[in-house]
Parts: sequence; C-alpha cells; structure tokens
Amino acid sequence: MSPDQEKLIAELVEKGLSGDMDPINAIEDRVLRSKAKSALAKAKRASKAEAASAPVEEKSTEENDTDTTPSDHPNQKFGKMIHNKFPNSLDAELNDTHIQLKPDDWFEIASWLKSEPSLHFDSLQCHTGMDVGENMLEARYNLHSMTHDHKIEIRIAVSRDKANIPSIEQIWRIGDWFERETYDMFGIFFDGHRDHRRMLLPEDWEGYPLRKDYVVQETYHGIIIPKVKEGWE
Amino acid sequence: MGVIHGEEMVLNIGPQHPSTHGVLRLKVKTDGEIISEITPVIGYLHRCFEKHCENMTYDQVIPYTDRCDYLAAMANNFGYVVAVEELMELKVPEKVEYIRVIMAEFQRIASHLLALGVYGLDIGAFTPFLFMLRDRERILDMFEMTCGARLLYNYMWIGGVSHDLPKGFVETAFQFLDYFEPQIEEYNELLTYNKIFIERTADIGVLPPDVAISYGVSGPNLRASGVKWDLRRNAPYSIYNKFEFDVCIGEGGKGTLGDCWDRYYVRMLEVKESVKILRQALAQIPKEGDVHQALPKKIRPPKGSIYSRTETPRGDLGFYIVSDGSPIPTRVKMRSPAFTALSVLGELAGGWMMSDVISILGSLDIVLGEIDR
Repeated sequence: MSPDQEKLIAELVEKGLSGDMDPINAIEDRVLRSKAKSALAKAKRASKAEAASAPVEEKSTEENDTDTTPSDHPNQKFGKMIHNKFPNSLDAELNDTHIQLKPDDWFEIASWLKSEPSLHFDSLQCHTGMDVGENMLEARYNLHSMTHDHKIEIRIAVSRDKANIPSIEQIWRIGDWFERETYDMFGIFFDGHRDHRRMLLPEDWEGYPLRKDYVVQETYHGIIIPKVKEGWE
Repeated sequence: MGVIHGEEMVLNIGPQHPSTHGVLRLKVKTDGEIISEITPVIGYLHRCFEKHCENMTYDQVIPYTDRCDYLAAMANNFGYVVAVEELMELKVPEKVEYIRVIMAEFQRIASHLLALGVYGLDIGAFTPFLFMLRDRERILDMFEMTCGARLLYNYMWIGGVSHDLPKGFVETAFQFLDYFEPQIEEYNELLTYNKIFIERTADIGVLPPDVAISYGVSGPNLRASGVKWDLRRNAPYSIYNKFEFDVCIGEGGKGTLGDCWDRYYVRMLEVKESVKILRQALAQIPKEGDVHQALPKKIRPPKGSIYSRTETPRGDLGFYIVSDGSPIPTRVKMRSPAFTALSVLGELAGGWMMSDVISILGSLDIVLGEIDR
C-alpha cells in the first residue's frame, strides 16, 4: 500500500470512529474501500479493549433510558421473586429490560418458573444466542405465560472458553430445536440436551456463523466457498 | 418354526418430494406400516437470513423477510416493520395502518386457500385445489395492482407502505369479497364434508393443548387444539382492536379435539373471519392521507432490544431485534411459527400409519423457506 493511501485510510478511520461512515462508503475503488473498512473495524476493536469498562457503560445507558427506581415492570417483579427463591442466582442488578442470571441454577429456576402457579410460564416464545463481545456469549430466553398473559426476558452470559448452559429442553419441548439452533450458530453447549446436534448446517461444518468474528471455511468437501461478494455490498 | 422377528426399516421421505411442501427430509423408522420414530431433517433452504441482516440497514432487510415465508410475504413484512417501529417508537398514519391490515388479511386468505387446497391434494382431492388456486389468483391480481409484485412484495416499509392504494382498489376488493363469500360454501361441499376426506383426517394426529403450548405451536394449529389464543385479539397490534371478529377454535367436529380435520377446519373458519375484517377495514379506510408521510429519513433505532410478535397465517411470528444505535442491526432473530410447528411432528406422527404422516404433515401447514431462513 502506498503512503498516500495509508494516510487516506487513517483519516477515514478517524472519521468513521466518530460515527461518520459516508466518506468510507463514498470510495469508488472496492479494494481500497474494504481496506479502509477493515482498518476501521480493527480500530474499533482496539478502542473497545482499551475501555475495559465497556460492558458497564452499556448497562448504564440501558438503565438511563429506563427507570432505575424499582418499578412494577414484570422483569423487576419476577426478578425479585427469582432472587428470593434462589439467592445468588442473579448476575446483575435488576432492570426493566431483562433478568440477568448465572448459568448454574438455570434448570431449577426454569422448572420453578413453569411449575409455580402464580408464574406459570408455560410457553418459551423465543430463544436465541447473541455475541456480546468481550469474549462473552449470551443466551436469551423470552418467556410467556398463556394463563396470566405476562412475559419476561432472561439472559445468561457465558464466556467463550466455557460456553456451557444447562439445557431446558425437557421443560419446554420447543427448547429442543431452539437450543440446537443456538448451538449451531453460536457454539453454546447445552448440558443435558438429549439430541445435541447441529440444526441447520451440516454436522461437519467448521465454526459458528453468527459469532461476530466468524470466518468462512475455504472449502467444503472440495467445493470452493466464494468469499468476496461481487457487485454489491 | 422359530419366532419371526419384524425388522425395522428406515425410510427417507424427501428432500425432493411433493408431499413435504418444500425441501424437507423425513427420516422415518417403520415397523411394517406403523411409524415408530420420525425425525425431520431441515436446513436444505438455509440462506443465512440472520447473518445477512447483520450486514444490511434496517430497510434493506424487508425484501429478505419476503423470501422467508414466500406464501405470506405481506405478513412477514408486517411483522418486521411492526417490530422496528416499536423499537423506534414510531407512529404511523392511520391510513397506512388500514392499508396494512387490508393487505395482511388478503394475504391470510390467499395463504389459507393454498394451504387448504394443497392439503386436499395431499389427501388425493384434485378439484378443490384448482378451485382454491383460481380464487387465490384474484387476490394476487389485487396485490399486483397495488405494488406490481405477485409473490414477493417488499410492500410495507418502516413508517409506511411503498405505494398508496391504486384507484378503484376498494371497489375491486368489494367485488372480490362479494364473489368470494359464497365460494366458501362450495369448498365446504367439495372437500370439508367429503366422506373420504373426513376418513383420512378425523381422529388422526391428535395434538393435545398442553403439548402444543410446550412445543410453541401457534396460530391455527394451536387454536385447533381448543386454545383460544389469537394475537390480533389477545395482544392487539396495529389497529386490530378496531375490528369485530371471532377467534375460531377447534371443537372436534368430526372426531377428537385437535385432530387433522380440526386443523383444516379452523383455517376454513378463519378465512370467513378475514372476510369480516376486510369488509370493515375497506369501509372505514380514510380517503385522504399520504402513505409516505411518516417515513423516517434515517432509520437509527435507539440502543436496546425488542421482541415483538404478530399473527401471520401460520402463527406467532416473532422478531427479536438488537440495536446498538447504528443504522445496521446487531442481531435479528426470526422466530418462525412453521419452525415450531414442524418440531412437534416427531411427537405427533409416532404410532400412526405411513399414509397418515402425509395428512399430519399437511395439516401443520409448514413453509420450508421460513423454517430454514
């Protein structure tokens, strides 16, 4: 790369970091544009690593736009009930958006959430994974009660090195396929799942596609997988 | 003579088979004619919808939602834009809400007609299929009149719709409804109360309500098991609280509650309810109004996440969207109703005969594009 280009990229990255993506998108040379974008991604990652308090920052903004004072929001109300029944299970302060739990007692908590008559969360509406960065993965559960018509969101964060969460497949049967899909896409392992296989991808596929740092494998059974999309971005 | 040991046979249905409604493979273990285990294998249509979403702006995602459930593309557009609007706290004009409801209900009729017709075809009744497709065609004509596309519309945008209703749409719609309502009786005579059809579907593949809820089965399949749950009524979105309609549930009319016939018949009843909603919406729709008025210049939802659901012809369609404040979503998860409906097949089909598998699978009304995404 010529020094001119390097200088240009450095300028663009600075602009990109301050949130202005237009100059980068306006570059006509495709190669140069992708170089600038990757440099920007690298710079963003570095700045994130510097600010070790990044997750705290995120939480504080979430709390800012909701109310920090105790409210009647289901996530607060039921979070408190979980805390009373299972002390030490909460992983973070209660807020309106979700309940952050530790993975250890998840199976017991889940079966209690379903069987306790005043809660009766009989339907697992949605379960998905999420790459939250900082070497952490998150499993998210949206629960809903058909009888009481209330709903909560539960999040469980685990580190990539030890991404194990107890399976709730035997409590809500749809958890079977939901967890298989999350394992398939994020590489979160569900302990106690009776049929722990990939859901959508073939069994011998490498890597977990929905992680943010996923790189597509070069060939699959001799088929070359095209990497750069031609013509559009 | 010793004891004769029956040998288990593993049989593959699909991935290319007309009765699987797409590229679905069923691994079936049979003991003679009886199914002992059935495992659906999916992923043949996986197009990385969710990964693509992480590289596109919010409005670029809409055409991709079309291609998930290609038989009810309007409903998918609707579900997605409602989720993003909820995240942005965007209010859309009343006229747009009316247009959306009209399109969604027409789509429900079109989708149910195909589901019912193809179901008849699975069972062996060819004529109702042609009748229903003939009428579905007229709905597609109306969609074409509105937005130029017949199958994949990209019609609903965040904050509005792509085109206003064309001149003469309301009249055409009323003409269609007047023509269509008596047709439902004809379908009933042709297929619903046909002796052979009832023999093939009643008492087959019974789905108890608690099992259905545990498997996340939703929409007509859940209602057929006697659970009165419809998001349009129980958690109204858009302007569904303005309309009068009944939530139809299965009653075990020809056999046990929650059998294949119930799942079929609930769809037939829902078509009638959609006609009811359409008549009200078409009569009340405001004449004046700009459908592009509320389109945001830049779509940048605030930091946060949302899980929002809508009632599509197939059930609860949920979108879980995480935003980091940029124009590109961090994560879009689509909770597809057909995915959960197919997951119950293993539980439902065990113990039935080989020929019943087709009628059970058909009664669930799955679309593989939505299951694999």
